[in-house]
Amino acid sequence: MASIIVSDVSVDIPIYDVSSASLRKMVLSRAVGGRFAQAGSHVSVSALKNISFEARHGDRIALVGNNGSGKSTLLRVLSEVYPPTSGTVRVSGRVSPLFDATLGMSMDATGWDNIYMCGQLWGLTRGEIEAGIADIVAFTELGDYLSVPVRTYSTGMMLRLAFAIATLRAPDVMLIDEVIGVGDGRFFEKAFARLRGVVERSSILFVASHADDILRLLCNKAIWLENGSLMAYGDIKEVIAAYRGSRGSDDVRMHGADTNTVRPVVPA
Amino acid sequence: MHTLLEVIRRDALSAFKAWRLWTMLAWNDILLRYRRSILGPFWITLSMAAFIAVLGVIYSRIFNVDVATYLPFLTLGYVTWGFIAQTVNESCGAFQEGERIIKQLRLPYGLYVFRVVWRNFLIFLHTIVIFVPVALVFRVWPGAHGLLAVLGIILLLANLNGIAMVLAILAARFRDIAPIVVTVMQILLFATPIMWPVSSLGGAVWIAQINPFYHFIELIRAPLLGDAPPLLSWTVALGSLILGSVLSLLLLNRAAKRIVFWV
Repeated sequence: MASIIVSDVSVDIPIYDVSSASLRKMVLSRAVGGRFAQAGSHVSVSALKNISFEARHGDRIALVGNNGSGKSTLLRVLSEVYPPTSGTVRVSGRVSPLFDATLGMSMDATGWDNIYMCGQLWGLTRGEIEAGIADIVAFTELGDYLSVPVRTYSTGMMLRLAFAIATLRAPDVMLIDEVIGVGDGRFFEKAFARLRGVVERSSILFVASHADDILRLLCNKAIWLENGSLMAYGDIKEVIAAYRGSRGSDDVRMHGADTNTVRPVVPA
Repeated sequence: MHTLLEVIRRDALSAFKAWRLWTMLAWNDILLRYRRSILGPFWITLSMAAFIAVLGVIYSRIFNVDVATYLPFLTLGYVTWGFIAQTVNESCGAFQEGERIIKQLRLPYGLYVFRVVWRNFLIFLHTIVIFVPVALVFRVWPGAHGLLAVLGIILLLANLNGIAMVLAILAARFRDIAPIVVTVMQILLFATPIMWPVSSLGGAVWIAQINPFYHFIELIRAPLLGDAPPLLSWTVALGSLILGSVLSLLLLNRAAKRIVFWV
């Protein structure tokens, strides 16, 4: 049974611009007796501040908040990609992060080759991949296209393939960052149906998205992040209402101008 | 000691166990580089062979040595050096190359280093074949000593893993490391007995002996030319292996939590 305990986690992300990443600064600061020590010490952004929460089996948690509020950082902490600067994260169960569905795809390899290559990267054994081939073929509807290089695919075809491979195995903990809001309406319908299947088989789900409709369909809880702080955690309706309420008249601009906002057609 | 064992268990061994993944990535890198090319990685073989043929004929005259002695010597030295230099240079980008994976999946960092070393080892296997016709034409028969070259290759691979890890970490943090390394390797091509025999140093043979790359090459070149490599070369290669491994593991232990922010 998967469980997640996040206690008092903060994450500072160091920013290295070109000059502070270079040796010159470091050598200089030594040579002049630390006069430039300030320049050598890097700037960091505190992306998460003292976050604490717990998630148990059956929790499907939506992450809401503005751009830069820490949603992606939190997902990366849960996938153990970002080590917390302070605090502890305890995750039990197999975690599968789905941030970049096309990860590991090679444009010059055929669809078949990519199924094996990406599958291995996602941690699947050859046996698991072979068992899932029929499923991938059915979902992607790529047919003979699977025998030609991915380079010749349209964006939608590529996405279908990537998505099918990435969601082949239902993990204990699934982390999703805005991957379903792309593709055309029909792809979205299929992807959404598939995702629901995966979600039902996995134990805990986190989805970061700006599309409230999708979140309401997939999730039962929500976490609202603002400037790296946890504002609310609880029932999805209440949290989203509080989040939207706090934005007041900003709401209109948010849906209109924000390029990250995704508003796909939700199947009835 | 305890931290060392912990890093070995957590990073080195788990990275090694993922061999399917890094051999796959390495092979895919080669396929990508030579997509739709008919000769594929054999282009490197061809260009190296041409270089060796021209240089071999001219330099054997300059150094006044028999071409039958010089060409096999040059072939082995230059091909091995190509492997070493390319691996060392490319290791500086090992983590940047894996950035997309590093930012999404928590995989052991050794994997990205093994990928670079393995990729170049596969290319080395493509280029070392140049020695076969050279050996046939000039009637070089390594004999039983030739088997020692296998040990030499294993020692070189092991050494390169340590060196590559250290450089990969440092170069991810300090972007000036990569050009420095390229420059150093360029100079070392001429400062290492590859194109000239070590005997031409006369009394200054220490210039070769303080250079670990000379010993790495000697452990492969000497046995394939039918000689046993000197004890000093074995000692240096083993010593640098221990030193490099310890250094790379300690550095990895220090840097592991920050690499994701550096790439």
